[in-house]
Amino acid sequence: MNPPRVADLLAEPILAAARVVAGSAGLEREVADVRWWVGEPVSVQDHLVVCGPESVTPSYRLDALVRRTGDAGAAGLLVVGATGRPLLSSIRLADRLEIPVLWLDDAEPVVLVQELTPRVRAPDLVRARTVERLLRQLAPRHTGQDIVAAAEGVLEAPLALVTSDGTNLLGPPIELDDALHLDRPVAQRGRAILVHPVLDPDGNRPAAWLACRVERAAESRLGELAAGLATTEPFLRAWLTAQRAHADRDLLFRARLLSEVLAGRDSVSRDVVEGAVSVGWQLTDWHVGLHLSCDDRTVGDQRTGVPERLRAALVAHGITLTEAVDRGDGWALWSSTEAEPGTADARALLRAVRLVTAALPREWGLIAGIGRPHRGPGGLAETLAEARDAAHLASSHDFRPAVEHSDELGVARLLATWQQSEVTRAFAETALAPLRSNESLLATLRAYLESGGSVVLVAEALGVHRNTVTARLQQVRERLGVDLDDPSQRLALQVACRSII
Amino acid sequence: MTGMSYDVLREITAEHVDALASGATLLGSGGGGDVALGALLLRRMLQDGDGPVPVIAPGDLSADALVVHAGVGGAPDVLTERLVDPDDCARAVEAVVAQVGGRLEAVGVIEIGGLNALMGVVAAARLGVPVIDGDLMGRAFPRVDQATLAVAGHPIAPMAVVGPFGDTVLVTRSSASAAQALMVSSAAAFGGAATLAMFPTTAGTLAEHGVRQSLSACAGLGRAFLTVDCEAPAAVVAERIGGRLLCEGRVDQVRPRSGRVPGSVTLIDRCSGGVVRVDHLEEYLAVTIDGRSVVSAPEVIVALDHRARCPIRTDEIRLGQSLALATLPALHIWPPETAGAVGPGAYGLHLEGPAR
Repeated sequence: MNPPRVADLLAEPILAAARVVAGSAGLEREVADVRWWVGEPVSVQDHLVVCGPESVTPSYRLDALVRRTGDAGAAGLLVVGATGRPLLSSIRLADRLEIPVLWLDDAEPVVLVQELTPRVRAPDLVRARTVERLLRQLAPRHTGQDIVAAAEGVLEAPLALVTSDGTNLLGPPIELDDALHLDRPVAQRGRAILVHPVLDPDGNRPAAWLACRVERAAESRLGELAAGLATTEPFLRAWLTAQRAHADRDLLFRARLLSEVLAGRDSVSRDVVEGAVSVGWQLTDWHVGLHLSCDDRTVGDQRTGVPERLRAALVAHGITLTEAVDRGDGWALWSSTEAEPGTADARALLRAVRLVTAALPREWGLIAGIGRPHRGPGGLAETLAEARDAAHLASSHDFRPAVEHSDELGVARLLATWQQSEVTRAFAETALAPLRSNESLLATLRAYLESGGSVVLVAEALGVHRNTVTARLQQVRERLGVDLDDPSQRLALQVACRSII
Repeated sequence: MTGMSYDVLREITAEHVDALASGATLLGSGGGGDVALGALLLRRMLQDGDGPVPVIAPGDLSADALVVHAGVGGAPDVLTERLVDPDDCARAVEAVVAQVGGRLEAVGVIEIGGLNALMGVVAAARLGVPVIDGDLMGRAFPRVDQATLAVAGHPIAPMAVVGPFGDTVLVTRSSASAAQALMVSSAAAFGGAATLAMFPTTAGTLAEHGVRQSLSACAGLGRAFLTVDCEAPAAVVAERIGGRLLCEGRVDQVRPRSGRVPGSVTLIDRCSGGVVRVDHLEEYLAVTIDGRSVVSAPEVIVALDHRARCPIRTDEIRLGQSLALATLPALHIWPPETAGAVGPGAYGLHLEGPAR
């Protein structure tokens, strides 16, 4: 193992308060040992020399000390507990001799030498001591926060639990850098970071990463930190396992509770009410339902995170939703208020959901429907049903994310019901069959019906001449054998056209 | 006396005043007080009939001839601005003569560095007696107990301290350290400065323990310095005054003294790049280059302004100033055992000596 450099030692927590007052050009000198200054008789070649205030008081004495340690080949000079500031002559001399002079205002020199010496000479000892302290500190901790905080205290370095995409779960924000290969579940070192995988309780892949920010450190310190992360990981994994068991139990309970509310409508049993209170649902309030689903089934395990991300984002818009309940085809969420929400609230909610879903990853293919406000347990069932219908309609759009509000549906909803009915489809298949072989005729018919029977508009929309449109329409009339001037025929054909898109 | 030889002065006339003042400033080692007012006073006295003042060596007098040393003491700032009355100098010497009895044969100079080099001559001129070609310090020191006679164990008292209104304090008996304290407190009582007479002694004692020929050396040094071409490089100037150039550079930091704790000046030697620190109180005490002291008290250190070619006192050093530091040959060889009285240790400096 390479000996630490002066700058490495400076990164040790025990020297966190030390300042480099001079000779920074020598910070990369290697340190072979740490030595209390007693004068020339003891060789200090390549040593970090530590001295107390008496060696530099009055301040001019530092000149001679710098020169003497410099002549003796010391790697650096650490002045502890001196009150004054060094003279410029000392600073210039140390710069000239390239001897780093470190200044530590308030420290116990004996402890300092004791702590620094094993770090230079016996890093294994330091590592063993750290692991032992960690084990003792971590054993009584149960929550993730406690575990990370305790480990941070022992390792004296910023520590965090982050997901592979950089989302911070616990501890201070720590940036992952792109030098890391987060697809490989092994401990790694980035540019200014050490990471250790926290394995998924259900498989041999990382559920998250235990990350430790380390700007600059000796190899021994990196070894100590790596050992510390490896020691902390099983504790975090155990906590994650417990968390997941809790969450699963909770999810099941909520799903059952909601289905009972929806089934019971306004006559819910006492058990259900108690259950609802225990999870914080205000059944008797006004409710606005939200149905959320996504196209992309491969989002898989991450799916459970989707409604949580939406909820968290909506909080920023001042909208609080209940926790999501999985309903198989999506999640049901709702907000409850004591007073009846106004139309402005409905618009604000729609707008907020549109903004928030637009900000979430497009590849999830998010679809959301929002119901109208209704009151009581029965109202909850109603608004959720409306929300689900609205989501259904939204899913028919060819863009994502798609959000619909049941208030805005009206005609569109009626049409959607028609378009999706089997009767309409069957009619469309047979009625339009003669045009199936000719795409341009079908397009012309569709454009003619949608434009309200205007040849001019059709010509513009399709980019062809008016006469061409007229000729094609004549062909359509002949093939289908219908009268396009009859409103009933036109309506039937228009519905048919829409349903086969 | 090493380095240069000077013409021996026989008498002091108005023509000698500039050379004397200039030499005294150089020998002040950066202290000793401003000579300007003293030089004006002495020139006027010598022009107005008080002179010329005969200069004699102690050996020219009979061994038991009485010599009293005269000068001024107190705060340099006050001495720079307040004109000294030559009659006060005469009064102080007469008070001491009256106390010891006998006839005054000559007046001696207490210190050859700074204002006091001239004040001994002023006293002699007013009293109409010769002045001794010598002094008791060979440079400027801040304390009277650092005089050669005091170091050799001779008493400072009887000592007279005379204020600007003729108020006279006569100390008939005193230890060396008490004499210093009494002088300082009396001068403070007299408004910060006073004229002094002390060290009544015989020509024989002076011949043995005094610094010899220092008035001649001072005038010679001053003359040499005044005749140097003002465009000459610092090394040439140092050579012309018999000294040795230590370094040249721009002042990077001035850390003022605080009470009795020496202050320091930092500069980087333009030629060698060495880091130079000059410790000082009233005088320059030591020059340390790269953590090794190369010159220290009682050797004389001269700081020369690069441009104006005039010696710079410790209180005149400014940040950014371009300085040349030189050392002058000693007028007096201090035996090693006197280091505790006149060396850096006397000022609380603990220096690392030069590499042997």
